[in-house]
Amino acid sequence: MLERTRELARSWLQKKEVDAIFGLRNKGGYLAPYLFNTEDELADLSISNQYRICHTCRPAKKNILSLMQARDPKLRIGVVCKGCDERALIELAKRSQLDLERIKILGVACTAEEAAECECERPYPGNLLVGDKVAGHSGHPGIDELLKKDIQQRFEFWCQQLGKCIKCYGCRNACPVCFCTDCKMEQELFVKVGRLPPEVPMFQFIRLIHIADKCTGCGECEKACPSNIPLTLITKLLKHDMKELFDYEAGLSVDNESPILLTLDAMPLRDGAGHGG
Amino acid sequence: MDNFEPKLVGFCCNWCSYTGADLAGTSRLKYPPNVRVIRVMCSGRVGPEMVMKAFASGADGVLVLGCHIGDCHYVYGNHRTKKRMAVLKRMIGYLGIDPRRLRLEWVSAGEGAKFAEVVGEFTKQIKELGPKQQPVAS
Repeated sequence: MLERTRELARSWLQKKEVDAIFGLRNKGGYLAPYLFNTEDELADLSISNQYRICHTCRPAKKNILSLMQARDPKLRIGVVCKGCDERALIELAKRSQLDLERIKILGVACTAEEAAECECERPYPGNLLVGDKVAGHSGHPGIDELLKKDIQQRFEFWCQQLGKCIKCYGCRNACPVCFCTDCKMEQELFVKVGRLPPEVPMFQFIRLIHIADKCTGCGECEKACPSNIPLTLITKLLKHDMKELFDYEAGLSVDNESPILLTLDAMPLRDGAGHGG
Repeated sequence: MDNFEPKLVGFCCNWCSYTGADLAGTSRLKYPPNVRVIRVMCSGRVGPEMVMKAFASGADGVLVLGCHIGDCHYVYGNHRTKKRMAVLKRMIGYLGIDPRRLRLEWVSAGEGAKFAEVVGEFTKQIKELGPKQQPVAS
């Protein structure tokens, strides 16, 4: 699969379809995003489900690809994308964070093992060029457990979980779709400076509700969390709710505007009982 | 618990609901004094973080009031409120706050009686639900 990806990337460079390939480079066992300019460099190209290609650079609060695009307005980049990477690119393009016209997506499917590891619901990109689709994992043991609890127990559960928070902002910083320059999580009004652990329904939940319509399901927030707070529980539940309420799934197409931003005429709200209680 | 008086926060849009609340006052309608009205320019201004902040600051219930669909001063502001609150209701349910503690209603400038009725009903409901659980200090 890796060979096929390299081959394809090489042919894109040869045919001048793209000016450079953006992907992961394996250097001495360490992975990092890298812009491959020449065909020789592609020998180090790597694919991993452990590293997302699409990151928001702090403190510029700009996506790495949009920074490159801003620097060179003519640059055409081929991006080696897994499912979640592609969804992130689409969500960012929807919000004018980058120009998808100048990006060519080299979609790579994840293997069944990788999908299981990430508990990914859609482990393949839309523009699939390498590999075969494998089935996604819809369930999450934690979700069933959380939904079995009553309101009081849920609150206690989150008090306990969020009590571990050290307010490192890792969940936000790792998120590919958190690009706001004016983050509500940094405003004194909503999150008090110097208070640890942060007020319970606020800190993480501000972010979780803000990304409800753009979460790509990559799970980076939970991976980044040093206190192991199960944040993907909520992102997964909200993804289901978006599907149920608006029949919408983030990151499928640039033309699917977020239902939250559309009028009720353009995208009506379905009334479902759901498991919210 | 019998004489529990809930603290409620009511976000009222400037053009309809706040005027509706005003009308309830000038018409000398009786409604429970539990609601603290916060005037916002549009119900679409009420972000999810504002509702969460109200809950975190000790509100037992949050009422979001706006113009009827189609009457919004900013044309589509309340369309977004409706969708946003639907998602937010789901989320506070997972978090452990009863979704019934958040309520969205449309109250026009002429509906002073409806304002009084909504506040009365909501206060009664929250009284039945009891105080919102407070986070245990860790």
